[in-house]
Amino acid sequence: MKKLFFDAGPIITLALSNLTWILEPLKRQYNGRFFITPSVHYELVKRPLTVNRFKFEALQVMKLIRLGVVEVYDSPIRGVKSLKALANSSFKIGNKNVDILQEGELESLSCALEHNTAIVMDERTLRLFIENSSEMESLLGRRFKRPVIGNAARIKEFSQKSSGAAIIRSIELVSVAYKLGFLDSYIPKGKLGREQLVDAVLWATKYNGCAVTIHEIAEIKKFLLT
Amino acid sequence: MNSKVHKELVRFLQQVLAALKEDDLDTLKKLSNQATETVALYKDMDAVSVAVLLYSLFKVSSCWEQSDKDEIVTQLKIALTSLQKNSFGKYNGAIKKLFSHVKSCSAKVKDHLSDVMQAARIKKSTILFQKGLSIGQAAGLMGLSNWDLQIYAADTLSAHTEKIHAESRVKQALHIFGAT
Repeated sequence: MKKLFFDAGPIITLALSNLTWILEPLKRQYNGRFFITPSVHYELVKRPLTVNRFKFEALQVMKLIRLGVVEVYDSPIRGVKSLKALANSSFKIGNKNVDILQEGELESLSCALEHNTAIVMDERTLRLFIENSSEMESLLGRRFKRPVIGNAARIKEFSQKSSGAAIIRSIELVSVAYKLGFLDSYIPKGKLGREQLVDAVLWATKYNGCAVTIHEIAEIKKFLLT
Repeated sequence: MNSKVHKELVRFLQQVLAALKEDDLDTLKKLSNQATETVALYKDMDAVSVAVLLYSLFKVSSCWEQSDKDEIVTQLKIALTSLQKNSFGKYNGAIKKLFSHVKSCSAKVKDHLSDVMQAARIKKSTILFQKGLSIGQAAGLMGLSNWDLQIYAADTLSAHTEKIHAESRVKQALHIFGAT
């Protein structure tokens, strides 16, 4: 059966946007299984259960797991350490490596690579590193006050190892949900109802954490409404 | 303590004292940002503590009276000389007193200490995120969860170039879900 792996970010975005419910019809449409890794489960459930502000969101994720919409992946995850070692030795400031990624963030990627499937990820850093490593280097170079030196061989090796994973974000999940009519009940009356809904839902995902540029929102909106 | 972090913290404390002498409070904020870079590089808790402290001092500086400022300068001097002598117990004591001072000032400006500290941690995390660290890494270094940082991160997302066009990614998603 097909598998789709989720990083923590997209589920946080959906929870903060009151849209976790779209995962159930999306899963039916996908006709496969949705997985989160144990680290993602910790970040989505165990940790927010200890923070008053996010307890209810944690309960929403727990409900998704209880209903079987999302499952916690319990098989051994291979290749995380080597990806982490590569990623975190790809950029240096002075003679010090910059640790840009955490092990947990690479778990979903490792799983997606192992199962040759897609990954749902809102995180900008890892996505840029996989899809556009030269932009990653220039981002670090622009933001740090000290010169950042990229290790071309390691960057290339990381890109090659991770290039098999197709990445989509929460904003694409919401776009699919819109296209499939799952969001139709939100359409306000009037000529511009659809446009209002698309605008509202795309900006909601951006402001709740999906790494998407303003230009991309305009592009997605145009695509969805034509 | 890592020798490079040690050297950086000594420099921060020296510069903070010089800035306070000139009543240059904006420098507290700038130095806090520099300390955040040190956090990014060395993942050092003492650097986290100084970055958060400097930003918290900046945030509550509007309530300072001369006696507050005198006490802060005294404790900063103790922290500096203790650090220079590798007397870490005394250094930690001075930093603790400085945080207590933030607490009393935050009560005066009717902010809860936890709010000031949380705001400082979120602010420092967003700076790490802006620099290119992942959300998990940026939040984790400041002791926050991804939930805490994610909504703020969206506002501070710097311009970057996506290699895959948004329309192509939506089409890819539609394909994955068999909805083309």
